[in-house]
Amino acid sequence: MLDKTKKILKYKILTQDYPKVQPDMSLWAGNPMINSSKCNGCGECVGRCPSGAIIWNKDSEAPYIDFDRCIFCLLCHEVCQAGAVDLIKEFQMARKEKRNFKYEAVGAGADDTEASLDALGMELQSKIKKLYGRSLMVREVDAGSCNGCDCEINAVTNPFNEIERFGISFVASPRHADMLLVTGICTRNMQEALLKTYQATPDPKLVVAVGSCACSGGIFRDTYASGNGIDGIVPVDVYIRGCPPRPQTIIYGILKALDR
Amino acid sequence: MLTKFMAGIQGAFGPSILKSSVCNRNELYIDVEPERAPMICTYLCSELGYPLVSMFACDERELTNRFFVYYVFADRKNTKLVIIRVAVDPAKMEIRSLSGKVYAAARYEREIKDLFGIVPVGHHNPKRLVFHSNWPKGAYPLRKDYEISHRPDVARETIKFQKVRGEGVYEIPVGPVHAGIIEPGHFRFSVAGEPIINLEAQLYYTHKGIEKLCEGKSIEQCLYIAERISGDETFANSLAYCQAVEKIGDIRIPGRAQYTRVVFAELERLICHLGDLGGICLDTGYGFANGQFRMLRGWAYNIADELCGMRFLRSVNRIGGVRKDFIAGKEAVVIQLLKKLHTELTDTVGIIKSNSMFMDRVENTGILKTKTAGDLNAVGPGGRASGIGHDVRKDFPYEAYGELKLKIPVYYYGDVNCRMNVKIDECFQSLEMIISALESMPEGKITGQVGLLEPYRFSFGMTEAPRGENIHFVMTGENNTLLRYKIRTPSFCNWPALCVAVKGNIVPDFPLINKSFNLSYAGNDL
Repeated sequence: MLDKTKKILKYKILTQDYPKVQPDMSLWAGNPMINSSKCNGCGECVGRCPSGAIIWNKDSEAPYIDFDRCIFCLLCHEVCQAGAVDLIKEFQMARKEKRNFKYEAVGAGADDTEASLDALGMELQSKIKKLYGRSLMVREVDAGSCNGCDCEINAVTNPFNEIERFGISFVASPRHADMLLVTGICTRNMQEALLKTYQATPDPKLVVAVGSCACSGGIFRDTYASGNGIDGIVPVDVYIRGCPPRPQTIIYGILKALDR
Repeated sequence: MLTKFMAGIQGAFGPSILKSSVCNRNELYIDVEPERAPMICTYLCSELGYPLVSMFACDERELTNRFFVYYVFADRKNTKLVIIRVAVDPAKMEIRSLSGKVYAAARYEREIKDLFGIVPVGHHNPKRLVFHSNWPKGAYPLRKDYEISHRPDVARETIKFQKVRGEGVYEIPVGPVHAGIIEPGHFRFSVAGEPIINLEAQLYYTHKGIEKLCEGKSIEQCLYIAERISGDETFANSLAYCQAVEKIGDIRIPGRAQYTRVVFAELERLICHLGDLGGICLDTGYGFANGQFRMLRGWAYNIADELCGMRFLRSVNRIGGVRKDFIAGKEAVVIQLLKKLHTELTDTVGIIKSNSMFMDRVENTGILKTKTAGDLNAVGPGGRASGIGHDVRKDFPYEAYGELKLKIPVYYYGDVNCRMNVKIDECFQSLEMIISALESMPEGKITGQVGLLEPYRFSFGMTEAPRGENIHFVMTGENNTLLRYKIRTPSFCNWPALCVAVKGNIVPDFPLINKSFNLSYAGNDL
C-alpha cells in the first residue's frame, strides 16, 4: 500500500498538454513530401512504392503522393536520387471530407442503411457538433487491420495522451456510441459486422476511418478478401492517415471531426 | 549429421522415399509416396518427437504439373528442419489426413482445404476454417489460376458450431466486435452455470489474403507487406522474411547489422510484453498496476522513437541488413533509459506480486497442461509456461543470438501466473540483452551485398516473435518476385491451446486467460 502511494506521488502528471502545447515530434522520422522543384522525373519512386501511393501527374510532369494510400515506409525518401523527397514532421494528417458513398456491402439490411443515411443529412452535421461539443462516446471497430492502429488507439488512452480529458471516452457497445472509430481494410468477413455495428449506433453519428487501410485499403488493396477501405460500406466523416497514425494524429483527427 | 539421419529414414522407409535433398545447410527435403506420408509423419512426430511446426500446400502446376503439400517438422535439439513433401494429383486433389495421429495437423489441413481445395481424407472435423458462410463452394484463391482481385458473389452456406447438449447447458456468443479495443473474432461458449464446458473460436475475420497478395510481387515490396502481418510483431515478421530471402540469395549479414537486429527484436518483445502485463492487470481490475505498465510501455516506445523514429519499428529491416546505422551515437542515451525502465519494472513487479487479491485471480486460472501444449505445439510464453522450454533464439540461433547470453525461463504449471512470470522474466532478459548487445556491438557496415535472386529456390526463415516461434517459407519466382509465401505466426499454433486452457474456468476469467496468451488475430488470419 505504501509502495503504491509512493509511486503515485513520484510521477505527478505524465499527460502531454496537447493541443495547448504542441507535442515534441523531434524524434519522429516524419512524413514524406515530394518537392517538385527538385524532382528530376526519373519515376523510380513511382515504380517502387509498395502500396502504389505515388502517382505520376501528367500535367505537372511530377509525381505526387496519395496520402490515403501511403504507408509511410519512407522508401521514396531513400530511393530518390535527386533528394526531392523531404521528411516533414507534421503530424496533423487527417482529412475531413464527405466522399460519394458507394454502397457495395454484402449481407442483410441494405435498405436500412440507405434510410439511415438519409437521416444523416447535412443539416445534422451542425447538430452533431452542438450535441457532442462537450462529451463524445466512441466505439472502436477493427474491420481487418494488422492491429497496429488498434494499439495506437489504445495508446490515446494511456497516461501520456489520456483522451478522457477532452470528455471523450471509449464505450463497450455501439448503442452507447456517438462516433465509430474504424480501422482496417474492411475484409469480406467483417463487412456485415461493420454494417450492423453502424446500424446499431444511434443517429446522429460520426464515422472516422483510422489508418491507410481504412482510408483506401493501403498496402492490402485489391485482394479477393479485402474491401479497399471502409467508405465502401459506411459513410466516412474524417480520414486519419498513417500506418499506423501516431496517437497525437488520432487525437487530432477526432477533434477535427468535432471541429474542436 | 543430416546424411546420417537420412540413412536411418532410408533404412526404415526405403521404398516409399522418392528422393531427398539438403538445402540451406539445415533443411532436409524428403519426397515420399502420398500413401505412405501419414506413416512417416507419425514416425517423425511420435517416435522421434519432432513437432509439426508448419504445413502448407503450393501450386507448382506450372513447373511440375502437380500440387505439393509440405509437412515441416523441427528437430529442435539438433537445429534442423525435416520437410516431407507429397505430390498431389490435380485430377484427384486429395491427401490422407494426419489428424488423429499428429494433432497439430488438424487446423493446417482445414486451411489447405479452404485455400487450395485439397481434401484431407479421413479428417475428423473438416469444417471450414478460413472462409465464413459468405464464401461460395468451389472457389480456391491460392490456386495459381485464381485471379487475385476476383471477389465471388456472396453465398449463404451454413457453418455449424459444436453443440453441447444437456440440462442447463446454454451458449454465449461473443463477437466479432468486442467490448475492448481489440481485434475481431467470434467466440461461442457452451456453459452450464458459470464454468465453460466448451469454447469454439471462429476466427479469420481479418483474413486479407496476404499470401496471395505477395505472389508475383517484388521481393522488396513483400518486405513491407511482411511488416504489416501483425501490428505489434512488425520486426519479428520482417526479420523472418528477410532471413528466408537472405538464405536463398546467400547474403552475408555484417556483424553490426546482426547486433542491430537483436536490439530491435528485443525492444519489440519488451514493448509487447509490457502491454500484455498491463492487460493482465487491467482484466483483474487492478487499475494502478495497469497504469504503471502503460507508463513503462510508453517509455519503451520512447526508446523506439529515439532509435529509429518509428513507434512500431517499421522500415528498419531491409534485405541484407538494416536500413541505416540506427544505433551509432545513441548508446548512452538508450542505456540510461533502459536502466530507468529496469528499476521501475522491478518496483512494479514487486508491488503486484505482493497483492494477494491479484495473485488469487491469476493463480490456478486457465491451466494448459504440458501434454496438451506439446500435442498442439504451443509455442512462445504460452508453451514455456507449460514446460515446453523451446525458444527459436536458442534452438535455431539467428543473427547475434548465438553470441549473447540467454537463459530461457520455463515454468511448469501452465496457469495465468506462469505465463505472466515468463513474460516478466523475458522483459528483464530483453532489457539486459539490449544493453549487452549495445555494449558488444562491432563496428562496420550495416548492409550486405544483395543481387538478383535465383528463381524457384526456397527457404525457411525462423524467428522468436514476442508471442513465440515464427516460421516463414519463401519460394522465389522469376525476375526477383515471389512464387509462394507461407506465413506461420505463433498465434496460429496457440489459438487451439487457448480454447483448451479455458475449459472448466468461469466465464469472467476468459478475458484474463485470453490476455495472458495475448494472441494476434491478424497474425492468425493473414
